[in-house]
Amino acid sequence: MECVVQGIIETQHVEALEILLQGLCGVHKEPLRTHELCLKSGPNLGLGASEVRLLCDLEQPEPSWTVRHVGGAMRGAGAEQISVLVRPMVESKVSKNALRLFYALGYKLDHELLRVGFAFHFQRGAQITVTVSTVSKMPKLHAIEEAEPVTPGIQLVEVTAPAPSDNYSEVAAAVSSFCEYLAPLLHLSKPGVSTGVVPTAAAAAASLMSDGGTPIL
Amino acid sequence: MPLKWVLHWQPNAGTTVNSQILSEVSQCVESMNGAKGGRWKSNLTYYRPILKEQANSAEYPRDFLGISLAEQPNKYYFILRGQRIVLEADSTIQTIMEKLQSYKSRVSLNFEGFQYQLGDFRLRVGKVVPSHSENVRGIVLEVEYLPVSSLEKSRQIMEEFVDIWQEAVSERSLPGHFMHMEINFGEYGLSDHYTSQHTAVQYATVMAQLIATVQSTVQLARN
Repeated sequence: MECVVQGIIETQHVEALEILLQGLCGVHKEPLRTHELCLKSGPNLGLGASEVRLLCDLEQPEPSWTVRHVGGAMRGAGAEQISVLVRPMVESKVSKNALRLFYALGYKLDHELLRVGFAFHFQRGAQITVTVSTVSKMPKLHAIEEAEPVTPGIQLVEVTAPAPSDNYSEVAAAVSSFCEYLAPLLHLSKPGVSTGVVPTAAAAAASLMSDGGTPIL
Repeated sequence: MPLKWVLHWQPNAGTTVNSQILSEVSQCVESMNGAKGGRWKSNLTYYRPILKEQANSAEYPRDFLGISLAEQPNKYYFILRGQRIVLEADSTIQTIMEKLQSYKSRVSLNFEGFQYQLGDFRLRVGKVVPSHSENVRGIVLEVEYLPVSSLEKSRQIMEEFVDIWQEAVSERSLPGHFMHMEINFGEYGLSDHYTSQHTAVQYATVMAQLIATVQSTVQLARN
């Protein structure tokens, strides 16, 4: 399982967000450049449609691949009471033939994206990852160098944390608590719940930039 | 990692493999002063597609295999022989395949037995049995040469060892012999430097040969 929240921030405020995150996390950022391919099963394959994502980490000297399967969000009264989305997620590192294999099995490319930005990985009540990235689409198949931002001037912020299936509450609480520190700059919510940019972002960003950073909390 | 050759037992025409042959083979290793070690076990699974319409089944691969190897307990290997594709993955890939519900396990076979040390060589003698069954469907022999990882550089010494081994087995007048299949690993995108992906490809090839042998035995019986 994983706990997830998302939000958006204007590109002009990303530097301020980075300063805030640096202070909160106490670790250095890691560059992020991931080619994400979303594959879906052909019409005759499986009793229902299935989807799998192939992630190619382009930041490494040798590109490395991961296969990821994300399940549907947890539902019910328990899910509605928590501010983060909880969903099944399974990942597997794979060698470089994954795309060929899935094509041969009857999967088709539905869409592909390029995510470029940075990530913070840290421990704060849970193993949390914050990614800040520009999401771009490709005008031609696999044309990474020609990728264009889906939302120019806006970047996606994602906070995720793995959680055991039988006890996700603590992780959800840790993620939720951490997100409160980011509130002046952006609002984070469950994926699919649109909130837009926060009105205090500009002032908060200006404060962070003028202070030259915040002490580690 | 050290390279290995995976040999399989090829029964003479009209005969089948059985536990007695397996026992003789094990005794042969021990007679060569092979120091018996622990047990080993690998598994191979055939997957078939789950389709809404069976009419189009030819569009999907019939040779989709998954393999877990004793030497790599945290990895899983997928192979499509017809398309010369091999994939190494974390074991969690099996969970992903279950969740996708597009392919399901059809037949599962275990390769299991004991390993032996003979100087710089490590041998694994194993029976091939369907999961949840004790019927011996085949015999495999892994010959691993520990000092070397290069397939080409080790070729001569491996051939010499296998010749000695074949001679030792032939003295027992068993109804068959061990075979080593030459594989073009380059077609799978694999290099001269040996890896567990090479082992997975060898097992897939051995299985294809075992199936062909069983099918020809059945055909002979019918004729």
